[in-house]
Amino acid sequence: GAGVGRAGCRVPRPTRLPPGWLPALQLARRGSKAVTRHWKAMHFQRQKLLAVTEYLPPRPAVPPRCLPAPRDRPEEEDGYVRLLRRQVEEAFRSSRMVAVCQYNSMPDEDVVTMRHYLRKHNIEVKFVLNEVVRPVLAQSKYRNLLPLFVCRNILLVSPETRAREMLRVLKGIPQVNLLGACIDDTILSRQGVENFSRLPSLEASQGQTVGALALLPSQTSSLLQRGPSLLTALLDEHIRRLRDTGTPGEPPQEQGTG
Amino acid sequence: PAGPGGVAVPRAGLKKLVLPPDYSGITFPEKPKLKFMDKVPAVPKVRREPRRLRDIRGPSREATDFIQGQYGILALGGGYLHWGHFEMIRLTIGRHMDPKSMFAVWRVPAPSKPVTRKSLGHRMGGGKGPIDHYVTPVRSGRLVVEVGGHCLFGEVQPFLAQVAQKLPFPAVPVSRESLQEMRREEEEKRLNNQNPWTFERVVTSNMLGMRKYLSPYDLRLQGRYWGKFFLKHRV
Repeated sequence: GAGVGRAGCRVPRPTRLPPGWLPALQLARRGSKAVTRHWKAMHFQRQKLLAVTEYLPPRPAVPPRCLPAPRDRPEEEDGYVRLLRRQVEEAFRSSRMVAVCQYNSMPDEDVVTMRHYLRKHNIEVKFVLNEVVRPVLAQSKYRNLLPLFVCRNILLVSPETRAREMLRVLKGIPQVNLLGACIDDTILSRQGVENFSRLPSLEASQGQTVGALALLPSQTSSLLQRGPSLLTALLDEHIRRLRDTGTPGEPPQEQGTG
Repeated sequence: PAGPGGVAVPRAGLKKLVLPPDYSGITFPEKPKLKFMDKVPAVPKVRREPRRLRDIRGPSREATDFIQGQYGILALGGGYLHWGHFEMIRLTIGRHMDPKSMFAVWRVPAPSKPVTRKSLGHRMGGGKGPIDHYVTPVRSGRLVVEVGGHCLFGEVQPFLAQVAQKLPFPAVPVSRESLQEMRREEEEKRLNNQNPWTFERVVTSNMLGMRKYLSPYDLRLQGRYWGKFFLKHRV
């Protein structure tokens, strides 16, 4: 802006200083040109200036290597993983019996044989990865099965609950160990599965229940008939005794009310 | 992953299937290989030109960004490319690339600047020597060649690095992403510099009379260039 000179009068000053000016005296013959093939030696003052104006990186109060590693960029969901998760959900939804077994490496032909025998009982063998199954279970109602999915495992799923045949097949395979099962929305341990297998089948137990329930009604008619039948029996006994004691002529008058 | 006793427990996870790269927006030029560059321009120069080394100094203004290809060689210093260099680049890249799936494009013009040489063993004086050969000036920050096509950076990088090593100035193979990354890092460095004293500040306000020891070009170059050299670590 305008400056104030002596005696308070305004002195016009240029608003902006000119950006650059060539030095009045240029040393023409000193040393090499500006652009050289070799590294031209710098004036010491320039070296000092470059040393002073070097880059200083920011230094946070806590060095980053003392802090826990930043868990940035969560991995995007893979389509394949989504498909596998959907398949697992489908398996859980459509089956009545889901058994979790620990799987140790077996020869391939033994795996095929095991699958064949279990298929005969309509049990399907599924190989599952823990990283696929764990999120699926955590959000569904089978949360308590999570501790079982730690090591290499297989799922035996079946729409029927034939625990006895499954246990018989698995007994012959030492590399596959039953850890637990979820049968008809009931979580059972290994012992529980064994107990379950020893139970009679559903039809037999239904028949038993029906029989037990039908026991009392079936006795109703005999209960009602108990009084008159007792009376009939007593009268018959009496008639026989009278006949036996040789008193003829007394015809049986009472007719048994059948 | 370590198990009990420090023994590593091998763990197999799900294989992450990577989608193949998408080469949808790539158009091939008519001739995929590098054009042959003449030693001497079609109309050779009669008048001998002054040396004009300022065409090497400072940052480049042309050919700093990619045009057709995805990968290229970036010059990190100034220098002159003569016919030998051009042949080396053309033959090396032509040998290593597959013309059916890749293409290469020159980003520097043919040699046009005449360079004079006096015959060997003579004393100084007697006028300027005759024209010996022609060169192309290259400034730092300029792309020399561009390569593109159905290829990944990892396939292209080995032979580009081989070529870059043989150039008369420091050069480095880059891709579009890596160039962007380089520029972003430079900008970040400039912004988070903790030093309150920057070359720019000292020079523009002529602190301590520093401009007595600096060139007027340093106002523009800001201490990042010295002669033909580019000081990558500055600011």
